[in-house]
Formats: sequence, C-alpha cells, structure tokens
Amino acid sequence: MSDQFLSNSKFLSLILRHDRIRLLCFMILCSTSAAFAQQESFLKKHCFECHDAESKQGGLDLTSLKVELANADNFAKWVKIHDRIESGEMPPKAQPRPPVADKEAVTKSLKAELIKVEQAALQNEPRTGLRRLTRAEYENTIRDLFDMPGIALQGELPPDGSAHGFDKNSDALDISHVNLAKYIEAAEHVLNIAIATRPNPPSVTTRRISLANSGGFVTHVIMNGDGVLLKDKKPDPDFPPAAEQNHLDEGAHERMGTFHNATSVGLFRHEDESLSPYFIEHVTIYPGLYRVRTSLWSFQWDKGQVLPSRGTEAARLSVVQLTGDGRGGQHPSYKLGYFDAPSMDAQEHQLVTWLNHNEIIGFNVASLAPVANYNRKGRAMAFNGPGIACDWLDIQGPLHNIWPPFSHRVLFDDLPLSEFKAADHPGVRPPQRKQVRQLGAGKNRPDPAPGLWTVQSEQPLVDADRLLKVFLPRAFRRPVEAEVRQVYVAQVDERLKAGDCFESAMRSAYRAALCSPDFLYHVETTVGRALLPVEQQAAADSGQESKTGKSARPTKDSSIDDYSLACRLSYFFLNSMPDGRLTDLAARNILQQPEFLQMEVDRLLKDPKSQHFIDDFLGQWLKLRQIAATDPDKKLYPEFNPYLQDSMVAETRAYFRELIEKNLNVSHLIKSDFAMLNEKLAVHYGIPGVTGSQIRRVALPMDSPRGGFMTQASILKITANGTTTSPVPRGAFVMDRLLGQPPDPPPANIAAVEPDVRGATTIREQLAKHRDNVICASCHAKMDPPGFALEAFDVIGGPRSRYRSIGDGEPAPRGAIDPFIGISFKLGPPVDATGVLPDGRSFKDVLEFQTLVAADSNRLLMNLAERLMIYATGRDTSFSDRDQLAAIVAATQKQGGGIRTLIHEVVQSPLFQNR
Amino acid sequence: MCHRRRGVFAFHDFVIMVLSPLWILSPAAAEEPKLIKHQITGLFAPDREKDLRDVFEQKLSQFKLISIDFKNAEASFDYDPTKIFPGAKPEQIIERFDNELRNATRHTFGAKPLRTIEKDKLKLVEIPIVGLDCKACSFAVYEMVYRLKGVEMATASFKEGKLTALIDPEKIDRTEIEMTLKQRGVQFKPQE
Repeated sequence: MSDQFLSNSKFLSLILRHDRIRLLCFMILCSTSAAFAQQESFLKKHCFECHDAESKQGGLDLTSLKVELANADNFAKWVKIHDRIESGEMPPKAQPRPPVADKEAVTKSLKAELIKVEQAALQNEPRTGLRRLTRAEYENTIRDLFDMPGIALQGELPPDGSAHGFDKNSDALDISHVNLAKYIEAAEHVLNIAIATRPNPPSVTTRRISLANSGGFVTHVIMNGDGVLLKDKKPDPDFPPAAEQNHLDEGAHERMGTFHNATSVGLFRHEDESLSPYFIEHVTIYPGLYRVRTSLWSFQWDKGQVLPSRGTEAARLSVVQLTGDGRGGQHPSYKLGYFDAPSMDAQEHQLVTWLNHNEIIGFNVASLAPVANYNRKGRAMAFNGPGIACDWLDIQGPLHNIWPPFSHRVLFDDLPLSEFKAADHPGVRPPQRKQVRQLGAGKNRPDPAPGLWTVQSEQPLVDADRLLKVFLPRAFRRPVEAEVRQVYVAQVDERLKAGDCFESAMRSAYRAALCSPDFLYHVETTVGRALLPVEQQAAADSGQESKTGKSARPTKDSSIDDYSLACRLSYFFLNSMPDGRLTDLAARNILQQPEFLQMEVDRLLKDPKSQHFIDDFLGQWLKLRQIAATDPDKKLYPEFNPYLQDSMVAETRAYFRELIEKNLNVSHLIKSDFAMLNEKLAVHYGIPGVTGSQIRRVALPMDSPRGGFMTQASILKITANGTTTSPVPRGAFVMDRLLGQPPDPPPANIAAVEPDVRGATTIREQLAKHRDNVICASCHAKMDPPGFALEAFDVIGGPRSRYRSIGDGEPAPRGAIDPFIGISFKLGPPVDATGVLPDGRSFKDVLEFQTLVAADSNRLLMNLAERLMIYATGRDTSFSDRDQLAAIVAATQKQGGGIRTLIHEVVQSPLFQNR
Repeated sequence: MCHRRRGVFAFHDFVIMVLSPLWILSPAAAEEPKLIKHQITGLFAPDREKDLRDVFEQKLSQFKLISIDFKNAEASFDYDPTKIFPGAKPEQIIERFDNELRNATRHTFGAKPLRTIEKDKLKLVEIPIVGLDCKACSFAVYEMVYRLKGVEMATASFKEGKLTALIDPEKIDRTEIEMTLKQRGVQFKPQE
C-alpha cells in the first residue's frame, strides 16, 4: 500500500500548485484536525505506551504525529494506523484488547476523514493521467493498424518504467527526445514495410532446407561427433559417424555434396555458447507471412546404431535476427514453440509466422541433456544417448492474400500503382526506397527489381483528404475533427508544392500522425465533453486556457466516453487498439451499456490476441518477466535448462487462461486439483503419465500441492536467487502479489539473511536468530510463514525434503533427473515446511498452508481486483477506492467467486469506467 | 577475312604444337570432331570415374567425354574449342575448360595441361593414413596434396588407408607431404 500513497504524494504536490486547491486543503486540514481530536483518546489509551517519543516502536511516535492529510506521507501513515487497528494487529495481542465498539468507532471516523480529504483532493481531476503507449502497446497497435502481425518494433524503443507494479501507469511512462527520435525511426520503418513498391507481390517460393546447411554451425559439429547424418533411419553410409577420427575439411564435404543428399540430421548436442543451429539457407528478404513446415523424430543413438528413443522428445523452433555481418544473433529473437519428435516416427509440424528482414529460423534439441562429443575420445561412435532428427524444414512465402497488401491499402486505398518515370513528372522528386542488404548465407534471392513503382493520384489533395479521413480515426482510435484532419492535408499540400511526389507527401503526413500525441498517447475523454485535441485537453485538465485560446468545458461526468471505453477494453484485453466491433459499438454509443460490455469482455477474452493480456498482466503481476533474471547454479541444479524455464512460464499462462475460461473460483489462485503441464514439467513435479511438449490440463493426485500459482515452478524460480531459496523473498512475494499485503521494506542497517549453501545451518535456524531483533520480528511473523511453507520447493520449483548441498551431505539419488545429466550435489539438512500464521493457526506442510490461505477468498479477490484495476486503468488505486473494490468483490462472491466474474465486475464498475 | 583466317590457322598451330603427341586429328574434314586430352584433377579414387562421367552427361554435355585414363588422371574429350570458347586464345582453352568443369562440380574436379615431365622421372610416394571411410574426407586429403608444387598426380582412400602421390623429387619430398598432412589433422597409420 505504501506505493499507492507514494503516488498520491506526487499527485497532491501537483495539485497544490493551484491556489484555490491550497485554500481547499487548508479548510480540510482545519476540519480534519477537529475530527481527529476524537481519535486522540483511543490512541492515548491503547497506542501511546509503545509509540510515544520515548519508546517509538517501529519508528512511530504517535504523540508527535501531526494530522496533515494533504501531505501524502502523513496521509499514508494515518492509513497504516487505520489498517493496523482495523485488522486487529494493533494493539498487539499481548496488550489489553480495546472494546469492539471503541475500535469500530475510531476506525470508522478515521476512514471517513481519510476519504473526505482524498476525495476533495481528487475532485474534478482525472484519476488516470495522460499516458503514452507502452512499448508493447505501441508494437501491437502498429501490427493491428497495418495488419503486419509480426513487425518487430519494441526492441528499438527505450524501455518503459514501472509504477504500482505495472508499466501502464503515467507515472512510469516518461517521454524524452530519445523516445521521439525512436518514434520517428519506427514510423519510417513501418511505412517502408507497409507501402507496396512493386506492381505484383514478391514471388512465393518454397525452399526445403536441411539443418546441415552450408556454412552453418551444424555441419561443423556433426563432422566432430555431436550429430550424425541419417538415411532411412540409419546412419548415412556415405557419412560415417565421427569416431576416433573426425571428418576432415568441412568445405571439402560441402563441395562433395555430403550435406545435400536428402539425408536427415540427427543432433545430440544442445544449443550452447558455441553452437547455434540455424536453417541458414533462408534469410528473409521480404517481410511478411511465411509457412514453416518441418519433420521431426527422435531416436536412441547407441554407438553407431539408431534405436527407438525413450519417448517423445521436444525440439524448439525460433526466429533469429541476423545482425552485423550475418553471423550475429546467437540468441533467438523469439520462440516459435516446442514441437514433438516422437520415437522413430517422423511427425510433421506446420505454422504460419511473420518474418522480418534478415530473420532466419533457429533450432534446438530442447529436451536433450547437454552433451558434447566434440573432443571426446571415440566421439559419436562412443556415445550412447538420445538424439532428435530433423528430416527437413520447408519455408514458403511471402504469403499475400491480396496485392497491394492490406498495409498499403490502409494508406492508399485503391489508388493505382504505376511506374514512376521522371520524364512524366518534371520537377517532382521520386519516392525514396530503402534497400535492406540480405545478410548471412541465405540462398534465397530477391526478385528482379521491377523499377520505381508508386501510387498515382489524379487529384492529390482530394485523395489526401479522403485517405486521411479514414486513416486518422483508426490510428487515433476515435473520431477526428475536420480541422485536425486539415492540418495533415495541409502538410501534404506543402510537401507537394515542395516537389515531393504524392507517395512521399502522403508519407510525410502519415509519419507525422504516427508520431503525434494523438497516436502515441491514450487520449481519454469524459462523457459530455467535446472531443478536444490533446493540447487543449491537457489545458482543460489543468484548468488553463489552451494555446489556441479555446477554453475547455468543465467536466461534470467523470465517466469516459464510449471511444475511450473501447480503448480501455481493448488495451486491457488485447493490449492493442480497438477492433472494428468495439469501434462500431462506440460509434453507436452503446458500448457502456452493461449487456454490451458483458458481451464484449467475453468476446475479447476469446480472441487469440487476448494472450497479450495474459502474458503482459502475468509478466508484471507475478513477475514472469523476471523468469530469466537468475541462472540456477549448474552444480546444484544440473537438470535446469531453457526448455524447463519456458515450460514454467507456459504453465502459469495456461493456468490463468484456464481459470478465466472456466470461471474457476479464486481459491484456485492458491490451491487446485489440476495443473497445466507438459511432459517436461510433469517429470519435474513427479507427476506420471504426461507425454509431449504441449501444455494441457492434468488432474493432480490428492496429495499434490501443485496447481495454484504459489507452487508453480515459475513463481518458485522467480522468488529464488538461483543458488538458494529464502523464506523471506518468497514470503514477501506471497504477501504482496497474491494476498495484497506487501510487507514494509527492511529497515536500514539490518544485514540480510544469506542461506548457507554448504549445508551447515538451515535458513530456518538463521531466521530464528534474525527474529530475535524486535524491529524485524513483527514483519517476519507475517512474511516468514508462507516462505517456510514454500521451503518444500527448491530454486527451480522441484519438490524437496532435503536441501541440496555442494559441501557437506550424503550422496544424492538421481530421482527424476535425466540419466544423461551428471550430478555432483549432495543432500544436506532436511527441509522443515511447517509454520504458524500471525493469527496462531499452524500448518505442518505446504498443503495445509494452501488450505488456510485459499479459504480467505475475499482477500484473494480483493487483491486480484486491485491488480486488474491498476493494470486496466493505468492508475493506482486509492484509499477511497477500497469501498468500490469491496463492492466488486462482494458482487463476485455472490456469483460464485469466479475469476471471469471478477473481470466482468471490474469492467462494469465505475472505477474502470471513470477517468 | 584474311586476318580471321590467319587467326584460325594460328590456333591450330598452337594446338598441334602443345598437344600434338596426344592429339588425333582428322585432316579429312574441318568439321570432324577433335579429340582433346586433358589432365583431370579430382580423380582421387576409381569411383570418381563415374562421378566424372555423370558431370559431363548431366551438366557439361557440350563436351563429349570419350575416355578416362585413371592411372594417369587424364581424360579424352570430343569438342571444338572454337565453337565452345569462341574468341579464346589458344593458351586460354585449358583455363576455360577448367573453369567450366570447376563451376559444374563445385571445384571437386578440374583440368590442367598434360604433364610435360616424363613419368620415369617421377617418384611414387605412398603414405599410410587412417580416418573415416568417407569419400569427402578422402577428397579433402587428396586436395591437401595435389596442390603442392611438385605433386603431379595423387590418389587418396581412407578405405584403403593410403595416399599415393607421384612427385617430382627435385621439387618435393615425402617429408614435406607428411608435414602438410599432419598440419591439417590427418593421422598416419603407425609403422608396423
């Protein structure tokens, strides 16, 4: 909650600039001081003993604490006092309990005062500040606006900040000259790709590629025993596996056609620092959609023999952006997914994906243990282990349903394309074309250059007006007044007069639109207020006159209008601009009607693009974005690999989607009878009967603690440091992210508790000493129990009954660890996952802890409602929002406490619909 | 006209001068095929004969391959250089032929002028090598050796476990060949 009030501090300091608000605050202060006199006797009786100038426990001296609620820090302190008294945490249990009536009276009046002050401060002010699009929102919006579903933009934009747990808050969304420069670059890049520059689409080619392509990494490693060439599911007789001797001279083999005789490539070696398997023969020249097909199977390699494998293995396909000289890009830009490779039985996989300039497809034998035969005696002929075979990979594209493509039609509708001949256009500058050099060793080649083709217009300004009349409202996500449009048309006119051709002149206007605040910012207007350009609106928000001299009408109704509502819904559930249906409902002014809102929420959640919401929301709420922040210690956790990490994230995302789709009760956040697993995770969790790389719903045994977020491997990894676990960060995570009760930050000058990886002492023993410190004790009493319960899981979310140690300890059994992975860790002290909650209830293991926590559905709902509200509205919640959040929770509970119901109630609430 | 005719005669003179002992010319008719013999590189093992025939059948059909003499790494062709390489100077013919052959075979075959040194002045060197029974590996070893100055001809086979080289002893010796192979990672059979 401290974050909330930090935000209020900024907010209050902002509004205090205005004299009339100062006066108002002074008046409130006077009345508040009078009201607070009623609290004094309660505090004196029950609190001053520990919180006076002399004792000052917890650093709080109530005797000197002033009542200055216009001051955000002071406000926050009084909120904390209110909360501690209301929850019964204060006075402490050892002290005499105040009469219930006294307690209720004091919290009620304190609450009333706090709300009164806050609401007065917030009156007539938009709660959600003017905020720019986040990087993800920007990229998604461009993708949808131009139907270019994979154009990569956000990597080139400066990172967004974060406030109140999310990057969507105006407090976090600074804008600088760097942003502006990057927006201009991005707009240029978008227009370069969107505009058709040839009369016909680039020819569609289908290229079959071997993983052992010339100049690639794979040929090199299979010559040295980290893979083999296979023919008819046997070693290729023309390419004996590397043994005591390796193959000589890769170039000689390439020229002799060794790698091009329709053989399959079987790989044993995992992607690593010096091996990045690529299908290098296709390097994308034309950005667009491509159909990718591949054929995969797995086998057991036994010193020269190909035998059935242990089961279905998984290979990863990814997209890699080549950089520099074409050899860069080691790490995949993004993953296309994990694909099954069944034993000895080739399975074909197909997908359609967008590829950008100089992107290639990458490959990895994801489910295999790291192996390197390269310099090992006997190489492949001495190796016995699993392999994944790739028969081929086909790339077909670029695929276009129509030409010119939709991206071009968005800009130029059906204006004809024709060849630009300078002689026909005296004094007109031809359109500029950016040439992108093909990097790497691609064997695909561009089509012959068609000449300089561009759109032609007989009536440039008429066409410009017509085109912008359609484009601007889509780009700005709301109706655009004629006078605004005229500014852009005038720009086209100016460029034409300056000698630009029609395309260049229009391009200038489109670039300006894509860099304008109307596009880059979430412009929200309230009901009853005329649509104003951003500049005027900002002026209206500050109560000043705009530069144009037009004064904005004061806001009477703080409900946002239907276009703004469409945007809120869209950026909430799709993280992108509103689609046609939302815009249509907004235009008809019926979107705010509850039944339409209900239908739209359901529709949007069904949209595949709602995965953006799942990924973005969980990435921040549950910190999934930090999944790769730590690398688990290779000695202690040798079984960890990127496939397991990606499976962890996939589980959490799939689980949240399942909760929403099935509208499951909020208790599932903590406890569940099912989990979303693939084989990798199931093995990791010790759950039998799951095969393959795809995540699916799996019923859990009665005694399994898996399923809820708290015990998912992703969360357990995020809350560990890669080497050890500590109940403190894990407990703090549960308190903050799942229960909505973030502990206070640790006091200064208190040493952190560092777990002992030598295995000499347990973390519990160390924490017991730590809690001897009175300053630490109160917070740790709340924070440690969830952490203790989660001690039943290791750094990577695996179950444990004893700690792993690299020092003292007993030899460790292999357990579920892949037999091809060497283990050197030992078993240290036993794990104790028991604990006692601050209210005295105890638990003997994580299952019991889950039961206790899951029972408090109100708290779980309240927290999730608040997180969703902050995410969806781009603002923090305030003290005075609590009643409305409670109403959302109550309405949800009435309908069964489902997650989907909660989302509906959030959307239907005034908090969501108000600016 | 006269100038052109002189040019044709000059070309024929060159061909006769350089290749006369090996040429079988048919003086009866100018349009009759001309049998031309070249030394061929890349014939490092007997099964390469088939590869060479395939190349000329499938990719270089403008040249008719008449026969292959594996022992001497030579092949006879039937083609008219004036038609296939019009305008080429006589000394450029072998170079052009080599280019065609290299381009068609990713440089696994090539051509060069016939040996001028008599065979009895050459020395056969045989080096026992160990490696994978892989055609491309054998080619790799062959390539390492045949490019050395003084090596007139070579064969290589890991299957048979040996490399042979016909060398001009005045220009190169066995030690130099072994050093080259060793530097490139080739292992030798232990001496028995």
